[in-house]
Amino acid sequence: MQAIKVENLSKTFRVKRKEKGMKGSIRAILHPQTEEIRAVERISFEVEEGEMLAFIGPNGAGKSTTIKMLTGILYPDGGKVQVLGIDPTKKRKQLAYRIGTVFGQKEQLWTHLTPYDNFQFFGAIYDIPDGEVQRRIGELAERFELSSFINTPVRNLSLGQRIRCEFAASLIHRPSVLFLDEPTIGLDPVVKESVRSLIRQMNEELHTTVFLTSHDVGDIEKLCSRMIIVNAGKIVLDDSMEHLHRSGSSLENTIMEIYKSEGRTAIS
Amino acid sequence: MSTAVKNQLRVCVLSIKYNIMKEMINKVTFLTNICFMMLNNASILVQWFVLFRLRKDVGGYTMREILLLWGLTAASFGLSHVLFARVFSLPELIISGKLDSYLVQPKNVLLGVMTSSTNISAVGDLLYGVLLLSLFCSSIGRFFLLVLFTVTGTVIFTAFALLLGSLSFWFVRMEILGRQLTMGIISFATYPDGIFRGVSRFLLYFIIPVGMAVYHPVHIVVRFDAEMLAAVLLYTILIATAAAAVFYRGLRRYSSSSLMEARM
Repeated sequence: MQAIKVENLSKTFRVKRKEKGMKGSIRAILHPQTEEIRAVERISFEVEEGEMLAFIGPNGAGKSTTIKMLTGILYPDGGKVQVLGIDPTKKRKQLAYRIGTVFGQKEQLWTHLTPYDNFQFFGAIYDIPDGEVQRRIGELAERFELSSFINTPVRNLSLGQRIRCEFAASLIHRPSVLFLDEPTIGLDPVVKESVRSLIRQMNEELHTTVFLTSHDVGDIEKLCSRMIIVNAGKIVLDDSMEHLHRSGSSLENTIMEIYKSEGRTAIS
Repeated sequence: MSTAVKNQLRVCVLSIKYNIMKEMINKVTFLTNICFMMLNNASILVQWFVLFRLRKDVGGYTMREILLLWGLTAASFGLSHVLFARVFSLPELIISGKLDSYLVQPKNVLLGVMTSSTNISAVGDLLYGVLLLSLFCSSIGRFFLLVLFTVTGTVIFTAFALLLGSLSFWFVRMEILGRQLTMGIISFATYPDGIFRGVSRFLLYFIIPVGMAVYHPVHIVVRFDAEMLAAVLLYTILIATAAAAVFYRGLRRYSSSSLMEARM
């Protein structure tokens, strides 16, 4: 069964154009000009339940815009989206109970609170009874090895510890689909590996569908069974990792070649 | 009360509790902020005491009405900034795309945003307002009227800020005008309405909602008027509904961002 179904999804942003310097600023007041940027242009794809998909592309390719439309943060201009059979534009709250999000660049935890208090707050957000929240906190603390710092304010934790807590908070309601937007950004290789192993574990044990965007080839290679590459808002490749590996070239080279042929080289 | 409403209220209460806990981390700053705000407010009343030694009344107000006016303004302003401080910085959230974390939660976005921050010096305003209003609690009826008007004032101040802040979904740099108008409420709300005539009086009753938030309530407490009370209640419901509708209409235009951010 499909966890995510996207048909002809589009999103356009209107941005103001201004010529350089003070003259440009004055002209922009008298004759404002706007430009339409097609962030996502009629993309279609499906993700099966339990699948781990890498959704990658250079900066500005439309990855984050797509993930935000799938999670109900942004309204699409056109096309259809179904996540777990729910339309995010119509039933955002209903969908939110069943999905989890980790945005590597945006923290959702309260930094002055301890991870424990944060988990309790997230438990309340997802209407989980107190007793059950305690049980799940214990379970997550064990799985993510949080026990030694679960009562330390988040602002005093290392980046790796914070990311582990972000993951734990996103899983407190046991989501069926997990959206990860650059979850390993800024982490050292050891912590990266530990985060990857946690994602793998969740997928294997809970059959969680994972929708991952990342610039890190390691994340893609070690976690995902399929890869979609987007550029300038369009899908330029949709293939299984197995097939890509069979081509002989390394994954990094394959991605670099596709980016270069599209005129961008933004992978790390 | 339905389970959904109970759960939503529980999250709002937790959010407000955590905001206040955050401010209490540094207890010296916490207490000095509150005390200095109360002192600051009290120092302005001294000017009124001096003025009333020279004149019998100003714009139809004696010292008694001035105390009532200050009490209602400080309590309403204080409560709105203690509970819903984020509304007053809503344009910043919209422009820099910081609504994402509220949109991925299965709860009411507006309430989540509204209760996500507190202004601790406003606790000083609230306590100061409550102190002044306690001078007027001569009967149960009066007590309930003062509580009611503190609530309606809080709703009107918050809804007005929400209405102006939500315009940032459409217009860039609206926060400057919004800030001026919301601060304008406080400037006008601490003077008797009798000194305003013509256009300024029209503005204060129909554009900047000081009339409905503070002036009418002062008149009703001094001399009860059922029609005026109905007008205040109706206006409160109307402005709250309009502000929420504009926010949700604007939310469809929200464009998020990729800026790095942390929930502080």
